Amino acid sequence: MSKFLPLLDGLKLSHPLKTMSDDRKVQEAQYIWEHESLGGIAENNNPLPRPVVGLLILTFITAIAWTFPLFGQRPNAAIYADYITLMHSAPVQQVMNDKTLTTSARDEKAMKMIVGALADSDSPYEFQRIQHPISMNDLRIMEPGIIELQNQHADLREYSIIGNDVALANFEGNWKTDANGNFLKGPDGKKVRERLQPWWDKGYMTSVYYFFGFCFLVIITVKRLPPITWKPDHSIAH
Amino acid sequence: MIKYMFSKEEDIPGGTASIFFGFSCLMWFIVGTGIGSFNAAKLAFPDFFTHYYALQFGHMRQVHVHTVIFGWIVGAFAASALYIVPALGNTKLWSEKLGVWNCMAWNVGLMLALSTLWFGMTSGREYSDFMWPIDLYIAFCMVTPLFINIFMSILNRRTQGIYTTNWFFAGSFFMLIIVFLVGNAPEFFHLTGLNEAYMTWWFAHNVLGLLITPVAAAITYYIIPKVTGNPLYSHRVGHLHFWSIVVFYSTPAAHHLMSSPLPEWLKSFASVEGVLILVPAVAYVCNILLTMQGRWSMFVENIEIKYTITGVLLAIPLNMQGGFQQTRAINWYVHGTGWIVAHAHLALLGFSTFAEAAAVYYGMQTMLRRKLYSLSLANFHFWMLLIGFSLYWVSMTIAGLIQGAGKIYEVPYLDIVIAEHPYMIVRWLGGTMVFLGNIVWLYNMYMTVKKGEKLEHGVLPHEVAYVR
Repeated sequence: MSKFLPLLDGLKLSHPLKTMSDDRKVQEAQYIWEHESLGGIAENNNPLPRPVVGLLILTFITAIAWTFPLFGQRPNAAIYADYITLMHSAPVQQVMNDKTLTTSARDEKAMKMIVGALADSDSPYEFQRIQHPISMNDLRIMEPGIIELQNQHADLREYSIIGNDVALANFEGNWKTDANGNFLKGPDGKKVRERLQPWWDKGYMTSVYYFFGFCFLVIITVKRLPPITWKPDHSIAH
Repeated sequence: MIKYMFSKEEDIPGGTASIFFGFSCLMWFIVGTGIGSFNAAKLAFPDFFTHYYALQFGHMRQVHVHTVIFGWIVGAFAASALYIVPALGNTKLWSEKLGVWNCMAWNVGLMLALSTLWFGMTSGREYSDFMWPIDLYIAFCMVTPLFINIFMSILNRRTQGIYTTNWFFAGSFFMLIIVFLVGNAPEFFHLTGLNEAYMTWWFAHNVLGLLITPVAAAITYYIIPKVTGNPLYSHRVGHLHFWSIVVFYSTPAAHHLMSSPLPEWLKSFASVEGVLILVPAVAYVCNILLTMQGRWSMFVENIEIKYTITGVLLAIPLNMQGGFQQTRAINWYVHGTGWIVAHAHLALLGFSTFAEAAAVYYGMQTMLRRKLYSLSLANFHFWMLLIGFSLYWVSMTIAGLIQGAGKIYEVPYLDIVIAEHPYMIVRWLGGTMVFLGNIVWLYNMYMTVKKGEKLEHGVLPHEVAYVR
């Protein structure tokens, strides 16, 4: 194996958790370990206690599980498309033009009507609407941007509401394809990505590869040491 | 100091550079915590000392931050490294003369850096506040000579092995040079916008993650086995700690900017890596606490162990907070509040300072060959530091939660200021206790030089009786 992967030299496939050093190297390491004093300090050769190994595995699972559902929570324009449709409906317009009410009372009443109407219908955005409530003023600000995108037949899910702007989201999702599975290309001839958060999210995949790469390299490093069954005798050097 | 700067190398006693760094970092600690107490008083009592423009909070906050980071913390690291590195290699420091010059350059540079900052000459970027000539001075005249001395001492060691502490010392000071030069790139090359924001927080995160946290840990890897006489619990867990620091601590800078328009994949990656900071934390705490087996009585009886273990225990809440407060669910609430200020002090005044205080107490006695003048004063200092820090940490954490609630529920700003006022007073009290405790510490160390009982040849400070 050493010809192709020198790092894995010494790996015994029948005993993958044993030391990767040969007997001569192990003996040399043991000799130095026991006969050398590093400023009067000695070191043991203990493994991580098993509960701590469990804790580290739990840490990795927590890192993924804790953060995964929370990404992509920035509201997208599609959530509010129905708000704008209802804003232009006759009953809501009637309230918004009711001169007997103050401006804020009109806005509040109209928004309550919109939210009430949407609550009665099933929508994939139900949860996100609860997460990102808006006022009539917010709706007025985002209205021109959303209507313009609708006129362009844009996919509103690909646009985020950031402050007063309706902006193309900065997700880097799957490549866009047509009905036949061919890649769609932009005006510059390059393939175009979806601006939706993909289930696999690039950041998470990078993290997973990164973590397993780290584990692999650390295991190779520590497996060069003498086996954990060997206990150094510190009375020789100290 | 001037005398040794122009002496021949062989005429300079071993440990001289470390002693100079030790006393200078103590002085800067007093200055830094004094300014901190002053600043806290301004927040607790807004009418306090308002008539000097140069002493306004906006000027003094940065001066406090950089005095404690570069004067106290990194100065204490230098003091520790310059005696621990040669000791672990069974050799002498590569150049005491370079160390003495380094100490002079350090203090001159710091005075220059803090004065310019005080006069308002700043890059305006948090943690990398110094203007670019000062950044270059710090990188090439302060940190590079220190790294060369450490690295050459390790190269000239008389052992085949290199102990865990020295991996961290060499690695961290090398990475600090890189962090300084790359992290200040926005100023050198006039980068703006997101690039500037990201580089600013890459710098700030890595000064903590690749210098302060690992070097404080390196010190405890030395003090605990040395003073208890126990072997380090595990060499291989040391490997896990070191490499996971390099891999997981260097990458999560984007978690400081979770609400910015940085690419989502970068924020996802940074957030996961942010939680994985718990990997080195768990490995480290486990390694040190298991090394204490059978010697726990020293936690009460021995002043160096008392400081070190307190620091290690504070690393547990530090890393739990650090791992989770950067996730979006919690960051949304605590970002920009006093919670973060409390967390920063848990890292610098809690974990790190306790470890460094142990190293300075131990190193000064070893280098001066004198027993500590007064154990009672050292214990008094310990309790002033611990109680003062705890008051600060708890009060600012509560204030942060109040500010977070106020932010989310859109409570008027002045109402939040009124609600957190009692906690600002407690913060000032805590900070002032730390400041006063440090004056006592300086007195104790000065008296150790003057009147400390001489240690016999071959005897180490922890081997003489500490129990009254």
